[in-house]
Amino acid sequence: MYASAALRNLKRKLNGWMIISVIGAFAALIPSLYILFGLFGAPNENWAHIKQYVLLDSALQSLWLVLGTGSFSVIIGVSLAWLTAAYDFPLRRFFHFVFVLPLAIPPYIAAYTYGAMLSYTGSVQAFMRNVLGVTPNQAYFDIMSMKGAIFVFTLFLFPYVYLITKTFMERQSAAFIENARLLGKGPLHVFFRIVLPISKAAIIGGVSLVAFEVLNDFGVTKHFGISSFTTAIFKTWFGMYDVDSAIRLAGLLMSFVIGLFILERLVRRRRAYHSSTSKLKPLTRRKLCGIPAWAAVAFSSIIFALSFAIPVLQLIVWATWTYRDVFNDKFAGMIGNTLLVAFVSISLLMLLAVIVANVSRASKRSIFTLALTKLISMGYSIPGAVLSIGVLAVFISIDERLGGLYERLGWGANKLLLSMSLAMLVCAYVIRFLSVGYNAVEAGFDKIGNRYSEASRMLGAGMTRTFFKVDLPMIKGAVLTGFILTFMEIVKELPLTLLLRPFNFETLATKAYQYASDEQIHQASVPALFIIAVGAVSVFFYHWLGERKST
Amino acid sequence: MTYFELSDISFRFAEGKGDVLHNFSMRLNKGEVVGVLGQSGGGKSTLLRIIAGLEVPNSGNISINGRTLVDRKQFVLPEKRGIGMIFQDYALFPHLTVAQNILFGLHRLSRKERLQRLEEMLELIQLQDFRKRFPHELSGGQQQRVAFARSLAPEPELLLMDEPFSSLDADLKHSIREELKRMLRTANMTCILVTHDKEDAAVICDRVVHIANIGHALNINPKFVSNSTR
Ligand SMILES: Nc1ncnc2c1ncn2[C@@H]1O[C@H](COP(=O)(O)OP(=O)(O)OP(=O)(O)O)[C@@H](O)[C@H]1O
Ligand SMILES: [Mg+2]
Repeated sequence: MYASAALRNLKRKLNGWMIISVIGAFAALIPSLYILFGLFGAPNENWAHIKQYVLLDSALQSLWLVLGTGSFSVIIGVSLAWLTAAYDFPLRRFFHFVFVLPLAIPPYIAAYTYGAMLSYTGSVQAFMRNVLGVTPNQAYFDIMSMKGAIFVFTLFLFPYVYLITKTFMERQSAAFIENARLLGKGPLHVFFRIVLPISKAAIIGGVSLVAFEVLNDFGVTKHFGISSFTTAIFKTWFGMYDVDSAIRLAGLLMSFVIGLFILERLVRRRRAYHSSTSKLKPLTRRKLCGIPAWAAVAFSSIIFALSFAIPVLQLIVWATWTYRDVFNDKFAGMIGNTLLVAFVSISLLMLLAVIVANVSRASKRSIFTLALTKLISMGYSIPGAVLSIGVLAVFISIDERLGGLYERLGWGANKLLLSMSLAMLVCAYVIRFLSVGYNAVEAGFDKIGNRYSEASRMLGAGMTRTFFKVDLPMIKGAVLTGFILTFMEIVKELPLTLLLRPFNFETLATKAYQYASDEQIHQASVPALFIIAVGAVSVFFYHWLGERKST
Repeated sequence: MTYFELSDISFRFAEGKGDVLHNFSMRLNKGEVVGVLGQSGGGKSTLLRIIAGLEVPNSGNISINGRTLVDRKQFVLPEKRGIGMIFQDYALFPHLTVAQNILFGLHRLSRKERLQRLEEMLELIQLQDFRKRFPHELSGGQQQRVAFARSLAPEPELLLMDEPFSSLDADLKHSIREELKRMLRTANMTCILVTHDKEDAAVICDRVVHIANIGHALNINPKFVSNSTR
């Protein structure tokens, strides 16, 4: 292409929307780059020690967690997805909804709850001793272990696999499956030879979210005393005060995650079975009767009980014991804090998400927009520990740069202004959850397509007027969905909040964590229930929106 | 006198193999209605989108009324071109009423002028009593007329139509076709109309240009047909 034409094309695209998108995407990238560049510096004297005693062990522990949780999430998530997508049995609609509810319970809260319930003084063993009169072997109840962590992660993360796989099966697989049924293939053959292979991409999409969540976790492994990679980073940082090595560990974890991310995209890109026809017949369900129907109900009930009903009931019981101590002025302030930081972050984040989505929709296939959107969607896969170090380091270095300015303003030269403020936490939330908001908005734009905005441009309206007069009224629902999903994520977020909040700034999540780590599990139930309520309402609303759309 | 000129336009999609248009040229006089005929996949819609400014040609120039729209150094954005377009599925804004749809392109006029123009347009398409309806409350033919009024209201220098009859059934098509012809004449519109149908072209157009599809590498024969069909 000629230089003049290239310049012309650049000028055509250069406008406020584009500039904000590029600046936003690069700003979001800075903390990650900071961490990655840390890998290239020379290691300090601690590193040899860390490498020898910490690195391999913690990497293996994390790997086991990811593999264990991943495998069990696939088994439970896919079997439930297939059950609810392809069969009709009593209470199916109810189960379809409640299988999403575990997402409302953050795994760290589930870990405290199960940990306390199964302890020697917990409700389960107390019941067995006092009512049944048996004193069971303690070893059966050892949840504070690798197995226990995998149990908790699986129960509360499998819905990612379930949701994505079920949606795929319902919408995309009908033709293949009905053909196989017509050819007289039995249900097992259909499931293993057809359903599993064609759902591969969806399953991988779901399980990679599970993997990112496990690597992001801080609360569960901390509480169960598992020396995962994340805890290793924190020990190096806060135990040994060795920020350099912590950054180095974070860099390694991040390289691994980026590898995982790319791998997932590569596998999913070849969506060979993605049907191209727009009018897809939904899968018709087969009715189960007799024993199979009862078995389906029993299996579903067990999963529902373990992944939602039991822990929530237990929390409610504890809350009735302790709410009088917990409700006080501070508690109201905490809810205020949670709402404040959530709304500020979500507003910024949705604004940026909408701007980037609007820029990228017009030229979906250009390399530039692909890069932009991939960068944004990566934010969600960066573990909280890594992101928090990155953000903190960047903010401290900004404060150092601005030292001269602070001095001239009479605030003192070495003041840490930005890195002591809420700005840091807001910034981290925006980076981490931008992709959640972006995906929601993008889905909205995909649904309306480009023709209305093109019609508007042809009528003399520029990009901005088009956006406010044509696009926004049509994607309102999608923006609202993004708002709700990010709200739920931010309210339950723990590692970033814990590390980046200003001194004495408590949110519901940090309070629940603090009670639990002070052995005040019963008190933790009150903030925990608030978090779960927010999540459940969001899930309910999301579900309702989805159902409304599909009918 | 040449009013609209398009010369040596080549275009390919970013990931496409080969050109969709190859050194394609055409000219229009003021008030002329020209039909573009060609096979499916021949690049007719793409041609209109290039003229509209919704796609960027790889090479070639476009100018209208002495004003350059595209050449190697310049590119006028679609909203600045003063070109109207009627989309195949009309793309009427579903959240706006008939009147609001027609008013959409008139934001540069004063309030009084706007309302006056709206009345003229409603009269032209004979839908005065439907102004408060939403697009989904109209029949296919009525939607087509609203789309026409919406594009015509800002008085574009050139009107592009991509298969305006394809979503209408045969009976309706005949009456609408005549009506469209009358309205184009009334407004003395310069117009490029893409169609599959030779009969449509024969009724409405002053002349016809063919986009011929030969093979795949050089899709387009830049044949310049100007046989009058009337
Ligand atoms: N967005 C796109 N990306 C890549 N290729 C495209 C795209 N849109 C169209 N094409 C290809 O460009 C060629 C011309 O398409 P175009 O829509 O202009 O044809 P057309 O003459 O309008 O066809 P029809 O009469 O069926 O509407 C076709 O081969 C088509 O496959
Ligand atoms: Mg076409």
